[in-house]
Amino acid sequence: MGTETSSFETSEMLATFLASTPLLSESWRLCNISNTSTPRGFLAEQIGDVGYIAFSGIQTVGNSEEPSCRNLVPLMESDGNALFIALHRLNEGEEPVMVHAGLLQLFLSMHSSTSFQNQMLALKEKSKSIVITGHSLGGTIATLCTLWLLSYFQSISSPLQVLCITFGSPMLGNESLSKAVLRERWGGNFCNVVSKHDIMPRMLFAPQASFTQLHFLLQYWHLSMNCPRFGMLAQLHDEDKAEIFRLVLCHLEVIAQAGEEVAKSLFWPLGSYLFCSEEGAICVDNAVSVIKMMHLLLMTGCPYSCVEDHLKYGDYVEKVSLQYLNQESFMQADIPESSYESGVAISLQSLGIYSQETVARPVKDCLKTARRMGLRPNLNAAKLAVSLAKINPYRAQIEWYKASCDESDDHMGYYDCFKLRDNSKKGAKVNMNRHKLASFWNNVIKMLDNNELPYDFNRRAKWVNTSQFYKLLVEPLDIAEYYRTGMHRDKGHYLKHGRERRYEIFDRWWRERKVSVDENNKRSKLASLTQDSCFWARVEEAREWLDNIRSESDPRKLAFLWENINAFEKYARKLVDNMEVSRDVLLKNSSYNLWVEEWSKLKSQLKKFSPQFPDYVNGEVVP
Amino acid sequence: MASLKVGENREINTDLIQKAYSLAVKAHNKSSQKSYILEKTGGSSYVIFSFPGYWSENDWYDGEPFGETKINLDLFPSLRSIGIDEHAKVNKVFLQRFVDKISRNQDFRKEAKNEKKQIVFTGHSTGGSVSTLATIWFLEKYWRSDASATSPLCLTFGCPLTGNHIFSHALRREQWAPYFIHFVMRYDIVPRILLAPISSIKHEFQPILQFLNPKSTRASTNTPPEASNFYTNVMKNASSMASHAACSLMGNTNLLLETMTNFTTLSPYKPFGTFVFCTGNRKLVILSNPDAILQLLSYSFQLDNEAECLDVAQRSLQQHFSYGNELKDCFNKLDALLLESLEKLPLSADSTTASSDITTINAALKDLGLSIRARLCLCAAGELEKRKIGNKNSIDLKKADIAMKYLEDYKLSCGRQGLGCYDAFKIQKSTEDFEANVKRLELAGIWDEIIEMLKRYDLPDAFEGEKKWIDLGTKYRRLVEPLDIANFYRHLKNDVTGPYTEKGRPNRYKCTQRWLEHAQRMPAGSCGESCFWADVEELRIKNSSKEGFAPFKDKVLQLEEQAKKWINDKVLDKDVLMENSTFMVWWKKQPETHKLASCIKDIEGFKITSV
Repeated sequence: MGTETSSFETSEMLATFLASTPLLSESWRLCNISNTSTPRGFLAEQIGDVGYIAFSGIQTVGNSEEPSCRNLVPLMESDGNALFIALHRLNEGEEPVMVHAGLLQLFLSMHSSTSFQNQMLALKEKSKSIVITGHSLGGTIATLCTLWLLSYFQSISSPLQVLCITFGSPMLGNESLSKAVLRERWGGNFCNVVSKHDIMPRMLFAPQASFTQLHFLLQYWHLSMNCPRFGMLAQLHDEDKAEIFRLVLCHLEVIAQAGEEVAKSLFWPLGSYLFCSEEGAICVDNAVSVIKMMHLLLMTGCPYSCVEDHLKYGDYVEKVSLQYLNQESFMQADIPESSYESGVAISLQSLGIYSQETVARPVKDCLKTARRMGLRPNLNAAKLAVSLAKINPYRAQIEWYKASCDESDDHMGYYDCFKLRDNSKKGAKVNMNRHKLASFWNNVIKMLDNNELPYDFNRRAKWVNTSQFYKLLVEPLDIAEYYRTGMHRDKGHYLKHGRERRYEIFDRWWRERKVSVDENNKRSKLASLTQDSCFWARVEEAREWLDNIRSESDPRKLAFLWENINAFEKYARKLVDNMEVSRDVLLKNSSYNLWVEEWSKLKSQLKKFSPQFPDYVNGEVVP
Repeated sequence: MASLKVGENREINTDLIQKAYSLAVKAHNKSSQKSYILEKTGGSSYVIFSFPGYWSENDWYDGEPFGETKINLDLFPSLRSIGIDEHAKVNKVFLQRFVDKISRNQDFRKEAKNEKKQIVFTGHSTGGSVSTLATIWFLEKYWRSDASATSPLCLTFGCPLTGNHIFSHALRREQWAPYFIHFVMRYDIVPRILLAPISSIKHEFQPILQFLNPKSTRASTNTPPEASNFYTNVMKNASSMASHAACSLMGNTNLLLETMTNFTTLSPYKPFGTFVFCTGNRKLVILSNPDAILQLLSYSFQLDNEAECLDVAQRSLQQHFSYGNELKDCFNKLDALLLESLEKLPLSADSTTASSDITTINAALKDLGLSIRARLCLCAAGELEKRKIGNKNSIDLKKADIAMKYLEDYKLSCGRQGLGCYDAFKIQKSTEDFEANVKRLELAGIWDEIIEMLKRYDLPDAFEGEKKWIDLGTKYRRLVEPLDIANFYRHLKNDVTGPYTEKGRPNRYKCTQRWLEHAQRMPAGSCGESCFWADVEELRIKNSSKEGFAPFKDKVLQLEEQAKKWINDKVLDKDVLMENSTFMVWWKKQPETHKLASCIKDIEGFKITSV
């Protein structure tokens, strides 16, 4: 633990590990078959426990008349059947998740075909894990397919594992998409193989090239993929290649140099990238580094190689898959003394750029950044544990406050005490603690969103339990503050308009935690903290309904209010009956208790005046 | 008399090694009749047990892809991680062989027990695995209880990997790892076979074993045609395993690594003890870091160039039988290199300016064919070891914080005010109680961090065997756990999660309890005194229900027995007996007839209340 950082560069080692498994070569084999035998479609195969689906690289995107190549659409709006429901959640201040319009349409139409559904079903039944793969455009469709499966498996809590392997595929969507993927902890489920000079995966960084050029390029690739000899039929002019090469390189340079601060690109890399050359491969996961690497490596290419490299994945895969047999021979004599620098040297050699000083130096920086970003999560988690220990006393003080309020002579409980507090020091201190805790937890959420915490952070019991306890104890105070300051009049009620995102996230952590089966313990006494942290917000709304009912004359609105009040009463009573409320709820002068009294008073009044009243309360007997 | 230095202050007579090898081979020949042979030579200071190997596919793999199974804790109680209570895994067939043929063998048990000289266990090939288990069995059974006895020694030759990382961890924790010395020829394939799942070598394994079997009547000494495929498949799996391990050693953080592990099955086996690699040109390279050995097993097995594939494949089989000659040559002109401080290993093989030490190291590494990548992996293994020690040093520094002075004072002050700290804490009336709670939370933070490190195996293997930490853990547990229990029942968490002991007990207490139980060889669960209050609370809850006393009588009796024992042993505090303690208040409510006959009625404190 602590601040020491590992002194090794591992992007090449990870690539070696990947290459030593059968996954890469099997995936490529199927992509290749799919290119030749199922153009515009896909094929499925079962190998051992692993199910494979390969999408053909030969796909026709959209209406060929319309140059819709860089059209992005908001995923949420085009996803009528909620296939990607996990990606629908919006973050405030963030652009909506957008994906390539044409490819999304393509995937949606495949998805709705019975052949796809049937083969998918068969694979899901037989496999322990599923690899989804594709060459070129097929890889981007594979990415969509993977997102759908991950979303689906999440919704049914399936243990099936999914891995997406693409070969030379264009990017799928914007930065919000890749952030959403990280947020769902799916970053490790995507591996994009990109050869050193292949222009296809870099294409979408540039604005639309001349439509005819692109058309010919795709045609050439498609024909060659289908059968290498056919490629001859559609050779591109050298000037066209040069034009495309120049265009992409030049736009990529602008984006690469902008760095993280100004993301000027429409499209954004998603998941890990395995860059391969004749000499080997390295694997990088930091998006900004990926973009820079794409640029730097393309710089070493030429108009010819940038087109041909798109068709050479078979060679690259074979090469790296056989690496394990031999000791790598390090050509250069001057091996750096530090272990980190040596690792970097191996990476550079694997990319075949060790001696190309102009490119090697910025690539080194890239690797350094990527490594630093990668190390942050664990360091941050360790630091957070320390700061948690430091803020725990603040929480303990709030507990203390609750206990003393609950026992005090005004019989109000800590919710109402806090809501109606005067300018006493005690209240101010608790409020200060509330703020401190909120900023601590907001920071946790922020780090999690930025992928700065370990991927399993929200599954660690310590954090799930602590956040839950925090929520149950402190959210009532947040609600109290909300209604105390009249925010509900400006913004609307707390539940819909005022609840902080952190609480919703903690709700989810708590729901998704591992629980043993026998958790239906009957409570023998009142809970120490009310188990629904939004209880008081519901009380506040019920109070408003009760006020409104007196002044309301429109019978339809009145019926609506009755219904709401009844529902709340039922809910609250169930909570009380199950002893899931803390004692403060039932104190004589608590908002809840006052509400109950007022409600029964109203009921008895109404009963006197309107004989048909029982109808409104669903036949419940009114005393 | 020459001797081989295998570690600091550890030397082994080379004659003994050669003798052990010849006996290990001899055991094969007689094997069908005897499951081991015992050699006693007059005048020598040792006796040698040697075990034969076995040569069919079913002698290697059973069930799982890598043939592993959970260890039998009755025979090997130490082979687990203590705190987290994870059991070691071991090759199922090797274990079965040991259990059937050796541990149930009365002759063997008698001979091992009565032996006064140093016992050397040895075996070649799978015989080595059986000798390993025999050694551990002996250590568990006899040596541990008799500290004055001479330690045993285990010498294996071309022995397959036998246990997983917890196996290795446990041997190091018990300080037993130094008793195991494994000799491995650079290209011998047998120590690497279990890095590959059976599915990957299914087609070749039978003929290869046929060839390796010294008892089979081979038509010729030619290696079988399957050799090449066999070599490449094993090599591929070894490389997978090693590069995966290296990613972790080097701290790779890419999430893809995690996903990938779900798509590939990696061998669970891990080396332990000291490995002596024979380079094949009369040099020996010796090391004991398990992570480094694993890397070496893979990297030294690689080809220099593709052209030599067939040649190496053949050698990988032949070398399994060339230990005799090779060791003889090595010992004639002892050229052995002890690889320590791996993190400082020279990375470059060609530095001309290097000192003579470095030149020697470079030459040896070169003889093992270690590329710069391999050297980096060894470095990483060394760094990891160093980091674990660093972690331990940093928590050693926190001992002062753990000193618990505040809570000890709190306890005393509670006592002076006439209420035990359990009950005072549960009521939480005074600021002192509040401060104590804050202190409790602080300590919990420190201990949880330690437990997290244990879980990730981020501390040195020896940590859980360190007396001062076991003592500190016990003190912490006895002093602070009652406060945790008080907090638990104060907040009625039993209503949410169920009883404390089953559902609510933090790992920091479970772990520290197991440390003590293991150190004192006590049965699991016997040191539960710090949970006493939880037992009282649960019984109190049940007892107060309508059913009355009768259905819980056994439980009450049991609790009283325990209380009596623990009070007498002075592991449970007297504040249990204070007049208004939860325990006493509850006890007083029990039926008179029961109280009069109770085993604790005579303990001081009870006399006052019993009528």
